[in-house]
Amino acid sequence: MNYEVSLDQFEGPLDLLLHLIKESNINIYEIKIEEITKQYLDYIKKLEELNLTIASEYLLMAAELIEMKSKLLLPKKENNEEEEENDRDILINRLIEYQKYKEITKDFKDMESKRNMIYTKSPSKIETDIKIDNANKGDINLLIEAFQKYLERKKEEKPLNTTITKKELSVHERCVKIKDILKTKKVVNFEELFDTLNIPYVVVTFLSILELVKQNEVDIKQGNNFDNITISLRGE
Amino acid sequence: MKNKAVLEGLLFVVGDDGLKLSQVMDILNLNMDEAKELITELRKDYENKNRGITINFLGDTFKLTTKKEHKDFYSKLLQNEESNILSQAALETLAIIAYNEPITRVEIDELRGVSTGYVVRKLIARGLIKESGKSNTLPGKPTLYKTTSDFLDYFGLSSLSELPKIEETDENNESIDLFLSNRIEQKNNDDDLEILD
Repeated sequence: MNYEVSLDQFEGPLDLLLHLIKESNINIYEIKIEEITKQYLDYIKKLEELNLTIASEYLLMAAELIEMKSKLLLPKKENNEEEEENDRDILINRLIEYQKYKEITKDFKDMESKRNMIYTKSPSKIETDIKIDNANKGDINLLIEAFQKYLERKKEEKPLNTTITKKELSVHERCVKIKDILKTKKVVNFEELFDTLNIPYVVVTFLSILELVKQNEVDIKQGNNFDNITISLRGE
Repeated sequence: MKNKAVLEGLLFVVGDDGLKLSQVMDILNLNMDEAKELITELRKDYENKNRGITINFLGDTFKLTTKKEHKDFYSKLLQNEESNILSQAALETLAIIAYNEPITRVEIDELRGVSTGYVVRKLIARGLIKESGKSNTLPGKPTLYKTTSDFLDYFGLSSLSELPKIEETDENNESIDLFLSNRIEQKNNDDDLEILD
């Protein structure tokens, strides 16, 4: 079979199906799922061979058709026959419903071109005149002054230049800081190191202490449970 | 007759916004019959070959328009005239909305078998359809869409009742030939001023 291979001329999978049905001269009410599925898939395959991207809607329809077809292939149970008929009826109804609107667009096109034969114009602007008070004739300086005032006001309106900086604190930095503190103070309370209460700071500080312990740079002592923990540089 | 002159001026001023019959009645202090009479008279004056404009009834309003027999002359003013007509997708979507309004986008998608989000947005931008509240019956209360008076004007209609008749498909139709023969005859409606008759 010879296909005109282009999807652009179709408005969607329903449009393509209608085209295929018309091509093969079948009555819409007598379509066979098996045949139409084959034709549809052949068409889609041809497009794939040409490396055309196929809109997902077309693939969805392909999947639906395959599902219908595979149901036909299954051994028949008693109720199955009815279901098959339903699938087919639903598809036929969708096609007919779609065809109804597709057909009517011809009328819309006619109406559109007929309406395009005549022109109207935009509404006129009706505005009340603004009365200008000429009694108080100002000189140019007043205007300049006013403008300068306006510019100053504008300046005020401008948002202050604020930049939001997020200070990143690294464990390494904090380690150096803690060692500095220990060098001057010799011994500090564990809690003293948490002088700022924000979460990243607390976490980094805690990690730094662990790091310093790991590297054997500090000693941590606690006399009893719940006593103060003290930290000092190792070997001092 | 002064009223006729004022009416002509009014129609000129409102342009493509158009003038409702009720506005003509209010402004000129006329009853409905008098207002219709006045419009008909003015329209008759315009029928004169020496006049370049006429009155059309579009989107439920009266509008001054040029005459279609002069179209060729106006075309010479235009550079790319055809660029502005609606695409097939837009026409299908509009037809579906017009015959089913108010309707949700998903329902349009279902009827067309493709996603129409983009087309719907473009139609809204062109003022041919608008949102019309939310559906109370469907889950998630999706937005409903309907056509505007600009839609009617665009297709030269005065109201939705002038849409070409679309046959309800009869489920018992056994033959496609029958279906095709049921197809709407194209409506020949050259006289847009039916309301005046």
